[in-house]
Amino acid sequence: MLTYIYRHFDLQVGVTSLLLAGVGVISIYSATFDAHAMGIFNRQLLWLLGGTILLVIMALLPLRLLQSLSWAAYFFSIFLLVSVLVLGKTVSGSTSWFNLGAFRIQPSEFAKITTVLALASYLSRIDISLRTPRHLLTASGIVVIPVALILLQPDFGTTVIYAGMFFAVLFWGGASRFTLLAVVAPIASAVAALFGTTFFLIAVAVIGVLIYITKEHRLVAAAVFSVMVLFGISVQVIYDGLKPYQQKRIETFLNPNADPLGAGYNSLQSKVAIGSGGFLGKGYLRGSQTQLNFIPEQWTDFIFCVPGEEFGFLGAGAVLILFAVLLVRGVTLASIVKSRYASFVAVGLTAIIATHVFLNIGMALGLLPVIGVPLPFLSYGGSALISSTMMIGILMNLYTNRKEY
Amino acid sequence: MAQQDDIQIYWKRRVLYSVLGLMFLLFFGRLYQLQLIYSEEYGRKSEENSIRIIPREPVRGYVYDRNHVLVVDNQPAFTTTIMPFEFDKRNIPYLSSLLTLDPQFIRDRLKKGEEYSRFAPVKIKRDISFRELSALEENREHLMGVDYQVESKRWYGAGGRAAHILGYTKEISEAQIRTLGGEYRQGDVVGSAGLEGEYETALRGQKGAEFSTVNVRGQVVGSFDSGKLDVGAIDGKDLILTLDIGLQAFAESLMTDRRGAVVAIDPADGGILAMVSAPDYDLAFFSGVTPPLVWRSLNGDAARPLFNRATLTRYPPGSTFKMVLAAAALETGTVSPSWRITCGGSFRLGNKVFKDLHVHGSVDMTTAIQVSCNVYFYQLMLKTGLDNWSHYGREFGFGMLTGMDIAEENPGLLPTTAYMNRRYGPSGWTRGYLPSLGIGQGELGVTPLQMACYAMVLANSGEYHQPHAVRALLTKEAHTPDTLAFQSRRLSFAPQTWDIIREGMRRAVQLPGGTGGLARVKGIEVAGKTGTAQNPHGLDHAWFVGFAPYDHPRIAIAILIENAGFGGSYAAPIAGLCIERYLNGRLTRYDNTHRQPVITARDTPAPATVAGR
Repeated sequence: MLTYIYRHFDLQVGVTSLLLAGVGVISIYSATFDAHAMGIFNRQLLWLLGGTILLVIMALLPLRLLQSLSWAAYFFSIFLLVSVLVLGKTVSGSTSWFNLGAFRIQPSEFAKITTVLALASYLSRIDISLRTPRHLLTASGIVVIPVALILLQPDFGTTVIYAGMFFAVLFWGGASRFTLLAVVAPIASAVAALFGTTFFLIAVAVIGVLIYITKEHRLVAAAVFSVMVLFGISVQVIYDGLKPYQQKRIETFLNPNADPLGAGYNSLQSKVAIGSGGFLGKGYLRGSQTQLNFIPEQWTDFIFCVPGEEFGFLGAGAVLILFAVLLVRGVTLASIVKSRYASFVAVGLTAIIATHVFLNIGMALGLLPVIGVPLPFLSYGGSALISSTMMIGILMNLYTNRKEY
Repeated sequence: MAQQDDIQIYWKRRVLYSVLGLMFLLFFGRLYQLQLIYSEEYGRKSEENSIRIIPREPVRGYVYDRNHVLVVDNQPAFTTTIMPFEFDKRNIPYLSSLLTLDPQFIRDRLKKGEEYSRFAPVKIKRDISFRELSALEENREHLMGVDYQVESKRWYGAGGRAAHILGYTKEISEAQIRTLGGEYRQGDVVGSAGLEGEYETALRGQKGAEFSTVNVRGQVVGSFDSGKLDVGAIDGKDLILTLDIGLQAFAESLMTDRRGAVVAIDPADGGILAMVSAPDYDLAFFSGVTPPLVWRSLNGDAARPLFNRATLTRYPPGSTFKMVLAAAALETGTVSPSWRITCGGSFRLGNKVFKDLHVHGSVDMTTAIQVSCNVYFYQLMLKTGLDNWSHYGREFGFGMLTGMDIAEENPGLLPTTAYMNRRYGPSGWTRGYLPSLGIGQGELGVTPLQMACYAMVLANSGEYHQPHAVRALLTKEAHTPDTLAFQSRRLSFAPQTWDIIREGMRRAVQLPGGTGGLARVKGIEVAGKTGTAQNPHGLDHAWFVGFAPYDHPRIAIAILIENAGFGGSYAAPIAGLCIERYLNGRLTRYDNTHRQPVITARDTPAPATVAGR
């Protein structure tokens, strides 16, 4: 019996996500305990129940069916993204929600998954090669359409998630180094430009040399180089066009200590919360930063502060290890499944989770700017939790059907 | 994936593993840095965040007089405060109109307070009126962060004002915060004059602190660590004065509408029984917030009510100084007690004539003191010499600070040969300056306090005690007063010297022909000496020094009435009244001239009754 379960279900993925969801429930309870937001905790429990059901469904779905539904799901989510722009509800400057009675749904959370499915479906075709410019362009189009719609909301964080996913899938699919460079170059130059002209020039120089080394056709190389420079220069223009709260978040990241009670407040308080936890933490429900609500809406983006403060290095370290186990397993899965489709799906989903973890924990630790990206399984949020459980369900499905071609 | 890709797949897998490994290595490194290396620093920051220290103000010490009558009490007063981080600065104009303050004042206060902490209340206005308090209460919802604290202000209810001796408390100034440092914060009150200033450390006590846990909105959610860290305030120590507030009040009433000073000392220990500087002011003006108008009028008053004449004014002592010369002459052996002169009403030195008021005929030393014969002392001064005279003057404490326990004092001026040479050049002055000094005129300055000490030494036949107003400090918990020690010294003159001088003083009051007859008190033997300080700018200043009872003195007193005239007429009667009031506790006095009772009050008489005298 045990061997049957072991052979049919990916316990490593299932158990780690179960544990992470447990940590999430405990953390949200603590974060909302004294903030008179117990409703949030109760709702999260309901979402978790729903998410578990979806997980089981996704895990038991025949892989073929999933593959054949990929495009339909993709177009349906594009449709949802368009309609949310028209009908959606605006929350803190961003129109990304559907109101369904007491529950709100964020289509961009599901679009991530369907995009991966569609991309995998396209790239798994024998006749498709990422070295063929036309195929590369089609693959990019699959990603750019939802990204463009999400940017219109605007939701910068999710856009970065797509970039991380796409880069991983391109790498996995055997895209040339030049292609990978072409994807990275504009992002790198844009980020460098945020830090100042010197950083921008250094980035342009380094990437320029790398492009030269790839010995790509001069015209194409020049085009990529120009796009990169254009991106960097237009960052300032884009920056000016950003919503004030987004501008502030970026400024804040560049110097969080400048105004501790102003824009840099979150970032600083988050570091204070985690730092003051020390090795063993302050004890459950005893974190003063958490319990006294020094971090606004700590149950969403800054949830990592709760284990960090209340359980210290041991607790925060345990969370990191759980994520590491999950993500490493995801990569392993991508290499052991027989089907190309399954392999791309595994890489794409793992990359999505990894980018979430990277952005969210990096932000909580004060290493990255404050970008509103939830931490899978831990952050409060129904759509995010359900999309996380669905991803886990699909990963488990891939394991179950690993021998299928 | 397709078989042929297997090798590539394992290579790519390794790359992805490495990327994940790098990410988690970075996170663990950062976690290590935050939670293990800098955890203390962040721990401190997190405590600062969530722990609010609420200062607990100690009760300022009370002040009692020598008979344990409460002289200075505390009364509740409301102080407006602003919590900077809660307060919306756009409300400043409105708040300033409610409190009748300058908006800029509130802005400045707030700015200074924020420099200390955004989470500590900033005191904006002390002792707000009931009307202002009600206005704040009504507008509480619109004025987030505005609150008030109950503090205490001084209250004076014992009858005597004793303004110059008690001094006042004032809101601490920027400069004081810098110099005093320590626990003082903006908005605290600090003793700024008199005993309040001198005994500030004792009176103030020690602030306590209550540690409370607050949430991000600054609301107190409970006490921190169940109050284990709380430090209670230590209340200030009470002062037990040597002052007799009844005598003080009485002396003040006698000085109504006069300028001058009364200083009465207990000869047994140098304790000040009363110290009046007239005109004075009402300390009640200083107990809360002093209105600028009151400040301006007190500061601008030509009569200088804020100026403590008892310790700061410096006048020639006139004939009251003759005992110094007598002592110097006897102690140096310049003359024998039986040395006599014949007073013809004037004394000629070179071509200068020094006058006397009367023709006294043949006088010896005792008589010369009794009748205040100038001619006797002109000659005695020439015989004794300037430096002997000033040496003995210093023995009595002239020309230097008495060291009394209130801060402001004038040392006076007692000239020596060295001083005269410095001032006029060695050849710029002559013996002709001496006769005037011999009768206490000219370049000589004494304070009423020095004169009272002088009277004390004469009363004690040589025992000098450092004058002081505070006898003991009383800790509220201990119940046993902590008696303060003051210096004493002895002027070891021959007993005969004291006898002769004191007898002269006794006769000056008690016998007909004495200049101090108006200081006489029925049933009490009073000794004293009158003096009239010549004043080129107006009426002479009247002096009197004395003590009583003659045999076992219990009070030594010095009186100065500015621009009054003759000491015997104006200063002596006040001394007599004070002595009677102190020794008998009541007045049964008959007017010396008309033999009619003028005062039969049991306690403090109405000022108007006495003021005419």
